[in-house]
Amino acid sequence: MTRTVDWLRRYGALLRAAWLQDLQYRASIVLWLLWGVTEPAVALGIWWAIAADGPVQGYARADFARYFFALMLVNQLTIAWDSWYLDSWIREGELNFRLARPIHPAHEAVAENLAYKARTAGMILVVWLIVAAAWPAVRLPFGAGRWALTAAAVLLAAALRFFISFATGLLAFWTTRATAIMELHAGISLFLSGRLAPLALLPPAVARVAGFLWFPYMLAFPVDLLTGAVHGAALLQGFVGQVVWLAVWVGAYRLAWTRGLRRYGAVGG
Amino acid sequence: MRIAELQWEVERGGKPGGTTLAMTFRIPQSAIRILVALWRLNVAEELQYRANFVASLLGTTFWIGTALLTLAVFFRHTTRLGDWDYWEVVVLLGVFNTLTGVIEAVLRPGIGRLAGEVKSGGLDLVLAKPVDAQGFVSFRRLDVWRLTDVVLGLTLAGYALHRLGRVPSVVQLAAFGLALAAAVVVVYALWVALMSLAFWFVSVENLSVLFDAVYEGARYPVSAYPGALRFVFVYLIPIAWTTTIPASALTGRLEPGFALVAAAVAGVAFALTRLLWRTALKRYSGASG
Repeated sequence: MTRTVDWLRRYGALLRAAWLQDLQYRASIVLWLLWGVTEPAVALGIWWAIAADGPVQGYARADFARYFFALMLVNQLTIAWDSWYLDSWIREGELNFRLARPIHPAHEAVAENLAYKARTAGMILVVWLIVAAAWPAVRLPFGAGRWALTAAAVLLAAALRFFISFATGLLAFWTTRATAIMELHAGISLFLSGRLAPLALLPPAVARVAGFLWFPYMLAFPVDLLTGAVHGAALLQGFVGQVVWLAVWVGAYRLAWTRGLRRYGAVGG
Repeated sequence: MRIAELQWEVERGGKPGGTTLAMTFRIPQSAIRILVALWRLNVAEELQYRANFVASLLGTTFWIGTALLTLAVFFRHTTRLGDWDYWEVVVLLGVFNTLTGVIEAVLRPGIGRLAGEVKSGGLDLVLAKPVDAQGFVSFRRLDVWRLTDVVLGLTLAGYALHRLGRVPSVVQLAAFGLALAAAVVVVYALWVALMSLAFWFVSVENLSVLFDAVYEGARYPVSAYPGALRFVFVYLIPIAWTTTIPASALTGRLEPGFALVAAAVAGVAFALTRLLWRTALKRYSGASG
């Protein structure tokens, strides 16, 4: 019991610090947000043009609008910049004082993610509501059960992307190109996680490959859940996939952390 | 002390018998000498890191591959994008990549650092130099390896043109050259305009992200976008002039004479940003101790 209270207190302090730090950089955060939504906005513009003559494999213009609005929101809720932080922590020696603290550095990263996402996703949600008031195409049907399931899937996706980003960032213990690897991952995920198009519109072979990897569970699955495109068996399969890949990446993170720390020769003071 | 004023004093004094008008675009010979010296230094420095060449080449190849696959996904479901066919859009992609090379080699490492310097006061050191501040800030660095993007971009455009089965006439090539030069100027003007905002919003260090957000729209022909957006991209945020126009000139979609319009647009964009830069610089009062 006291342990729980202790952890709540710790997280309270970490969250407060992260929130205040973000407050200081709120204009920069708005720019990152803007940058984050241009890619789906441009993709929507192109699909909008393509769907002018009628639905594309069942996706009409309004479906694309809903898909990419949901993508903007889910992407913002699940995005993880931790690779870049870890890379600089390790290379610049900023990891040292974090290791000296009586709390694992990952908790600071989790708190930062929570504060950042609450702020930015909140902004997207407000914009979405305003747009939806004028543009019926992006309205989502209300369904408490579906929204609860979506919330669970978004949480799992956020955890998955956090551990992918954290584990990849830890590669900075061995190489100076950890962030380049993360960018490679981002390039692949453009297709396989559904950032460019709903997976159903990719070549079937590519979509099948994606199904064997973790990419669809980062974004496409929670997005489809939110727009109402997933039903029945696919729903269960989606959650199973998320949990399995989360376990794999947690394993990868633990391996990289223990092995990496052993060979870490601290830099800087 | 208004450092901006000081800088103009120095410059005025430095030019013997120079009648300095409010808007002179005259490039003194010494400016070229300084530029050559700076870039030679940069190249010598970069040559020490040849692994960066391989990394840059791999990065560009990966990026072009991603962009081509993106197009492949779109063209699975359509035969034309904004009335352009596949290989025409690939020509545009080549132009996009060429400009990316210029941006990454010169603009981002140069003027892209402006926001941080306005915040830290590092700009003081630039203004104290007896050179044109805008010119120095803009062209002080040359990351030579990123010029591979220019080569690969032009190669891609050439290959796509070959696949289209078109051989451009000399006039068309000249029009493309002029339109591409105009595009470089427009891209530069966009950078100056966006980075000048740093003088008003001092705390925003990642201002260059704003350029990336805007430039994302230049990956496709403007005719693919809805009407209102098209208007914005032609007249307000002129990214139509960066990729769509040069690519159109090369594929013969536009009359060669239209390149002159592009040149005029570039001239206006440059003059406007020059004016904006001067206005913005007046707001700067230094921050370093």
